[in-house]
Amino acid sequence: MLVVTCIKQVPDTTQVKVDPITGTLIREGVPFIINPFDTYALEESLRLKEKYGFHVAVISMGPPNTEVTLRKALSLGADEVILLSDRAFGGADTLATSMVLAEAIKKLGQKEEVAIVICGRQTIDGDTAQVGPGIATRLGYSQLTLVDRIENVDLKAKKIRVRRRLEGRHEIVETTLPAMIAVLREINRPRYPKVPMRLFAQDAPVTLWNNKVMGLREDTIGLKGSATQVRKIFSPQRERGEIIGDGSKNPQVAARLLIDRLKEKNLLSL
Amino acid sequence: MELNQSLIIIVFVTAIALFIWSCYRRFRLVLLGRPENRFKDTGKRIRDVLYYAFGQRCTVSHGYFFGLNHLVLFWSFMILLIANTEFMLHGLFPYVSLSRLPPGVYHALLFLFDVASVLALLAICIAIIRRLAFPPSYIEAQSRDAFIILGLIAFLMVAFFGLHASEIANSGEEARYMPVSNFAASVFFSHIPVDNLSGYINAFWWIHAIVLLSFLNYLPYSKHMHILAAIPNLFFRSLTKVNTQKREDFKKGNTFGVGQIDQFTWKDLFDSYSCTECGRCSDNCPATNTGKLLNPRLVIHDIKVNVLKNGHLIDKKKEAILPLIGGGREGSIADQVLWACTTCGACMEVCPVFIEHVPKIVDMRRNMVEMNARVPDELLALFENFEQRSNPWGIIPAERIKWAAQADVKPFEVGMTEYLFFTGCFGAFDARSRKVTVAISRILNAAGISWGILGKDELCCGDSLRRLGNEFVFDRMVRENIKLFNEKGIKKIITMCPHCYNTLKNDYRQYGMELEVIHHTALVNDLIKAGKLKLNSAKYSGNVIFHDSCYLGRYNEIYEAPREVIASVTGQRPSEMEHCFDRSFCCGAGGGRMWMEESEGKRINVARVEEAMKKEPGMICVCCPYCMTMFEDGLKGMKADNRVLVLDIAEIVANVLI
Amino acid sequence: MEEEKKLRKPRGAARLIPGKCIACGARCQSACPEDAIEMNNRGEPVINTEKCIGCRRCVKVCPAEALEMFYTPEEQKILAQIATSAKGMEAEEISIEQAAAIAEIKEYRGVWVFVEHTEGEPATVSWELLGVGAKLARSLDVELCSVVIGEKVEHLCQESFSYGASRVYLIDDAVFHYYRTETYYKAICHLVKKYRPEILLMGATGLGRDLAGAVATKLNTGLTADCTGLEIDDKGFLLQTRPAFGGNIMATIFTERTRPQMATVRPHVMLLPEKDPLQKGEIFRESFEIKEENVATKVLEVVNDQGRECDLAAAEVIVSGGRGMNGSENFSLLQQLADELGGVVGCSRAAVEAGWMPAERQVGQTGKTVRPKIYIACGISGAIQHLVGMQSSDIIIAINQDKQAPIFEVATYGIVGDVFQVVPAIINQIRELRTEKSCDLSGQISGKE
Repeated sequence: MLVVTCIKQVPDTTQVKVDPITGTLIREGVPFIINPFDTYALEESLRLKEKYGFHVAVISMGPPNTEVTLRKALSLGADEVILLSDRAFGGADTLATSMVLAEAIKKLGQKEEVAIVICGRQTIDGDTAQVGPGIATRLGYSQLTLVDRIENVDLKAKKIRVRRRLEGRHEIVETTLPAMIAVLREINRPRYPKVPMRLFAQDAPVTLWNNKVMGLREDTIGLKGSATQVRKIFSPQRERGEIIGDGSKNPQVAARLLIDRLKEKNLLSL
Repeated sequence: MELNQSLIIIVFVTAIALFIWSCYRRFRLVLLGRPENRFKDTGKRIRDVLYYAFGQRCTVSHGYFFGLNHLVLFWSFMILLIANTEFMLHGLFPYVSLSRLPPGVYHALLFLFDVASVLALLAICIAIIRRLAFPPSYIEAQSRDAFIILGLIAFLMVAFFGLHASEIANSGEEARYMPVSNFAASVFFSHIPVDNLSGYINAFWWIHAIVLLSFLNYLPYSKHMHILAAIPNLFFRSLTKVNTQKREDFKKGNTFGVGQIDQFTWKDLFDSYSCTECGRCSDNCPATNTGKLLNPRLVIHDIKVNVLKNGHLIDKKKEAILPLIGGGREGSIADQVLWACTTCGACMEVCPVFIEHVPKIVDMRRNMVEMNARVPDELLALFENFEQRSNPWGIIPAERIKWAAQADVKPFEVGMTEYLFFTGCFGAFDARSRKVTVAISRILNAAGISWGILGKDELCCGDSLRRLGNEFVFDRMVRENIKLFNEKGIKKIITMCPHCYNTLKNDYRQYGMELEVIHHTALVNDLIKAGKLKLNSAKYSGNVIFHDSCYLGRYNEIYEAPREVIASVTGQRPSEMEHCFDRSFCCGAGGGRMWMEESEGKRINVARVEEAMKKEPGMICVCCPYCMTMFEDGLKGMKADNRVLVLDIAEIVANVLI
Repeated sequence: MEEEKKLRKPRGAARLIPGKCIACGARCQSACPEDAIEMNNRGEPVINTEKCIGCRRCVKVCPAEALEMFYTPEEQKILAQIATSAKGMEAEEISIEQAAAIAEIKEYRGVWVFVEHTEGEPATVSWELLGVGAKLARSLDVELCSVVIGEKVEHLCQESFSYGASRVYLIDDAVFHYYRTETYYKAICHLVKKYRPEILLMGATGLGRDLAGAVATKLNTGLTADCTGLEIDDKGFLLQTRPAFGGNIMATIFTERTRPQMATVRPHVMLLPEKDPLQKGEIFRESFEIKEENVATKVLEVVNDQGRECDLAAAEVIVSGGRGMNGSENFSLLQQLADELGGVVGCSRAAVEAGWMPAERQVGQTGKTVRPKIYIACGISGAIQHLVGMQSSDIIIAINQDKQAPIFEVATYGIVGDVFQVVPAIINQIRELRTEKSCDLSGQISGKE
């Protein structure tokens, strides 16, 4: 039985700054990292492996240098890593991304039965949280997002029970396998790689699946398979560092001004 | 006596054989350790042994009064070693005797033996009384082991006097040269009929022999193994300051750090045999003193116990039965013990037999981090931050340059700039420390020094990673830094932080990187002395105290420079706290402790601030961003931050620059 | 040959404008028909001018306008000549396929808003969406409709009308009692296929994002998450503006070829429209057959979070106190403010060390990393260990007596003053405003449109 973890290599957006004069992004020296949300997905799959004896396959779609991130997954204990890379996959929106990932999972399923697909909640560069549901819908798997605890996996009955966190409440949900679960960062604390595993991962094999291997129709993937298009990009207006009123002489006025600011921003519901 | 000869031979030979066998069994285990060359520079090693062992430099120094007692005991032992060797040889081969020496020499020796015996007896009595009446907190004072050994020695001395007094009473010979024995003879044996005396002689002879042989055979099994191991350990000591840890070779198939005793070096294991458990290390340890689980003496003790428990099994290639790390039992060290160490080096500074505690602790941390990835939660994020962004907080590297807006700064230019000013992570990111960085930049400019910074390209030096045992990532960071330094042709570096200073200077040397690294306190002092800084003569009237940074002081022996700077600025040397110079008390942030929670016991910085407050200072001078943070934090906690200023050496100078 | 060349318009070659690439994910490479683009390690295109045929596809597709065409001086001369002689030699050609697609999407009409609710209790974001939906519907001159799915949820229809919908599609069945992706997304797809709306909006809540992703995939259409701005362009496309790259840039996105155009919008982004209880509309009662026994997912238990341990990481508002709070008893003041704002109380390391607050409330390097909408730091000086744990919050409000405190460096709004004066002032004024509002007979909030 297989657990497939989907991860993405992303530019570390917290390091991206906007040039205040030209309004362009300063990307110099911004490293590519494993999407932080995906580290929880990977950790959870490794815990499932330890608890139920699953095999863990990690897949990632991206440029060839995504290999670095996949090696990190190997160093943490993934059994198999697959890089989905082809220029035909480039420029994909979430719809076209979920296409490639779902097809890769199907392909993996031909070798070994897939029980669970685990995704991170969202990526830090896209912030959409749409790829997980996209994969589940395409594969016809049960879909459980916002999972903050996997309560039980019953391999005989092919069921999984999880806790989902919703606004103001939690729910315990059970569904049949195979299932796609998207996890929150509260679900676990990702482990740190052991050095012998890191050394092993440095030159362990990373399987490459390009579109020759995948054989997908070009109008369903990449830029051509994307339903959305970006028309333009601009830098947001930002206000930073405003000292409001004179809080020491007149706290009432300062408080009033602050409340006004919050109301303007629609952040204070009265 | 002749009747007894065969019995004597049997007893002596058996006892000595037993002793040798015991020693062999125990000391052979040391060879389980990994190889390490500790023989280089033999001449200096021999001189050191003479100085430290026979001079008893370490036991007597540091204000330990009872060290004097040890000095007396040590020398009495040395003298009686001759007497007892003769005693045994004479027993085995009756024709071997000191009496064959010229009479003058022989008589002098007799006198020495007599005096040494009485001094030893006295010293033993003092030791026993001390342990019973006012046991020091740090000693395993009332252990059975201690009393057995003391008792045996005392008994041996009594037997010595018994033997010689009865002989004097019998023949009257030697009475003139052995005043104490003669006195004993007159008190105890004067009324005993001469005929009976030979019985007494015989009896005391046997008592003396048996006690001596028992002592000998007990030694290897007690903590007093140090009598055998200490002097060799002094010989094998590190000839340089122990201010770094060794490199690891990151090849597949290697193990990293120490998780089992055979992963230590033989010297590490020998260290554990040399420990007398005198407790000076724990007496000076900031963690032990503030109620942490860590006690450096017990760490060494546990290693020894572990060697004795597992050594023979490991020797036979069997599974060890007692894990070295994990805790819960004697001989196993708990994780939190190892994490509690600030690597301040106070333990190593006071150890009379030069045991190297900190490298062992770091080695065991390495095992936890590198082999088992078993680290406190708060370190997980820290390690990621270092790996991803080369600073402990995970802040954008571009912000390293932020402080430069408040200063006149130039980038380091290849071939043009002389000194690199390495600001360090604190100096670049931390709001408080940035003020120090700015102060240093003003001083450098005022002195007309050619300097520059790397700005956003600067990387973390890796200090915390190495002390926390994450050698793998440290190794990577060093290589990156060295590449950068080589690209830019950087040879001379000024650091703001003593941790950067020590790392760049001492750790990077292991990578063949010889840098001229200068800490800002030393540089500022030199500049003042050379008259390159014009200072306003406004004197500071309040009480100034100086806190020694462990990594500047103990690690690199820079004690005077900061004090001289303070004197130049304020007109007087700073006042000293109870713990100062090489006995300074850590602020609590070293060894990666800066990044960890401190929930056990009292906070180290609070203890240190309380000590400082006893001097009623108006200003506390520091020279390290960690110390700065810890002192300010501690003062705020005591609500004393409005009364007491914490300033860096550079700041007090920059404030009076003309 | 010279003659021929003169007649032909030079195509030039594409090149990268330095500093403008955002590493969007190789759109240009993917668009290039000649494989003339390779991506470097930084995710930027390297264009092989030998191979480039000047088709401009990469230039068009680049979201950051980071690519441009360039011409050799000779080519520029020719261009200038052409410009003087004739104009508009090439018009954009539309293929037959494209024309068919355009015709098809014209059949989709109407703006839909999905009404999110928890067992009948509506989520305010749905009404906010009706507000923005009304504007879109006006621009397009179409109807604004809402979709209500659930069990015993008919009351939401009237509420939809009062917030501006003129039509409601209602599916009311026991199988929809709890939200489950499977049942809901199938029901919505059924409605969409039947009625063909051109725009479908949902709240960017946990539930909304779960549902929208599934619906969009099933319908094979475009979906844009977390929009902060929605408008209709001159061609009738829905322009969806959203933050990207961790909020560092804004991107305007549209769906060209497929319908409906789907978007999710976060709560509190759009203004809540005025409620008019007298508004009426049409209810379309729909049914969608799905049997409980065929639904794989079962909700076994629902645990209300009220009274449970506070969840700092998930909180939208955090009021934190530091050393300046002077004692544990003063944290009740912060609790009051947190209650008014619907938030929770956090603290700095100093407060934990002083024993005023439990360790699980600690924000910072060794505590929790949080990213709420509003972070209010009271009496926190802003040591670096604290800042790294909260500095990516949307809005940071700092209240501190020391105007030199580093916390003001990261604050959106700073008040230099005594926490014990400022915080009570804020609490009292919020309470006063609320009382005023409830006294207001109409019971409505004056929207700022």
